[in-house]
Amino acid sequence: MGTAELVALMLADGRLPTGGHTQSAGLEPAVRAGLGADGKQLHEVQTYARDRLRTVTRVDAAVAVVARHVILTGRPPEPPPSRVDWSAPGSPSREPWSPNHNPNSRLDATAEQAKPGGLGSGLGSGLEVVERAWAARVSSQVVREAVRRQGRLLLRLAGRVWPGVGEYLPPDGEIARPIVLGVVAAVTGLSAEQLARVVAYDDAQTVVSASLKLLPVDPAEAATWLAALHDDIEKLVADVAPLTDVDKIPANAAPLIDIHAQNHVTERMRLFHA
Amino acid sequence: MPETRSFRLGVAGPVGTGKSSLIATICRELADELRLGVITNDIYTDEDARLLRSAGVLDPDRIRAVETGACPHTAIRDDVTPNLIAVEDLERDFAPLDVVLVESGGDNLTATFSPALVDAQIFVLDVAGGGDVARKGGPGIARADLLVVNKTDLAPYVEVDVDRMVKDAEAARDGKPVLALSRKDPASVAKLKEWVRHMTAQVSTGDHTPVDPGPMAPHSHVGEDGSVITHVHTH
Repeated sequence: MGTAELVALMLADGRLPTGGHTQSAGLEPAVRAGLGADGKQLHEVQTYARDRLRTVTRVDAAVAVVARHVILTGRPPEPPPSRVDWSAPGSPSREPWSPNHNPNSRLDATAEQAKPGGLGSGLGSGLEVVERAWAARVSSQVVREAVRRQGRLLLRLAGRVWPGVGEYLPPDGEIARPIVLGVVAAVTGLSAEQLARVVAYDDAQTVVSASLKLLPVDPAEAATWLAALHDDIEKLVADVAPLTDVDKIPANAAPLIDIHAQNHVTERMRLFHA
Repeated sequence: MPETRSFRLGVAGPVGTGKSSLIATICRELADELRLGVITNDIYTDEDARLLRSAGVLDPDRIRAVETGACPHTAIRDDVTPNLIAVEDLERDFAPLDVVLVESGGDNLTATFSPALVDAQIFVLDVAGGGDVARKGGPGIARADLLVVNKTDLAPYVEVDVDRMVKDAEAARDGKPVLALSRKDPASVAKLKEWVRHMTAQVSTGDHTPVDPGPMAPHSHVGEDGSVITHVHTH
């Protein structure tokens, strides 16, 4: 479907105004911690991007795919009752983005704001279950906040460009970016494969282009790294695209990336938000 | 205009011309009569935000920094979303605010704010950057709502003729205001205050239409009769 493919290209384009220029996918604190060895081991940038594809980005892509599935089937997933008490560190209902966070912009509001003619309040809670599943897999509060801020930036644009998104998400919510991407994909007709590919490519490209600002990298060399990651991206796509069940979302983590993120937020000298 | 919507005033200009200092002056002089907030776009540090907080002229919570990923131009022009969200959150958290000042990370002469982010903008030059800069022109110099020629007290030391520099700027601006400013010259500070007051009133009553200073340059078309027409779009 040509239209969906063009949507995928738009979503993968760094020029789309969603604040992508403020992100390094954790590369900046990693470089500060020694990645790249001051330019003497530049290939580590590619390794870092690959490590993300195998861990945190794999989780993000799976979450996006399941969120898309929830919208398309209109069936909210069953929340796992035995895990409700502990499975949601920093779920939106407990962890506002800032002390002055507007309660109306939380995901909880989805259920309240669901339109009578829409798919109903059950769907709002359906997305909430997926968002909690994502939060349970992201142990760093700083990373959760950054990903939710990225989600808000995308949601703001998506609500204008693809108004159907507003049927499922509140207009200015701090909602994890993979959830927002999943909804955009459902509304615009992206396949699960296209969606997973966008998530994976975007993450790898974020790392690679941030490296140009952080290390002495030849831009053409950086593009070569990105091309060399295509097999890893397609492997991720094949793994996560068939997922439909919240419980099957992988829980790969990269603790060092979390530690870097926690350090970055208190760092005074920084180019990138995260 | 919703109650939480402030007058959003951008401050742009090259590095080191005194943008933070100008904002500190506005805060110091007007914090008693206007409810103010500040967003800074530091390029590499939170230096500007810290300078303003430590100046003690405004509640530190009302000063927030936005990272630009080393792209100060992008942050105020091509993709204003992170700044827009920061402005709106500040307006919401301290509602109602009268003015939110948005400081651009210091960039070059071509960087101007998108009208999607600010209602009006000040472009700041300084005498120490050279007396000929105003003559060189550019979208900010030619079409910002106010052009400030800053640090006039330094003119004797850098051998710049302030009057000449202001005349050059006025010639480039087609009648738009130019202000020769020094923190140490109370009369010039009073003029700055008056401009901010006037613009705040204009924006709040809806009498001000944001204009886009840039980045369109003079360019040529071939007319219907084959002749070449060179023109600048009206802003």
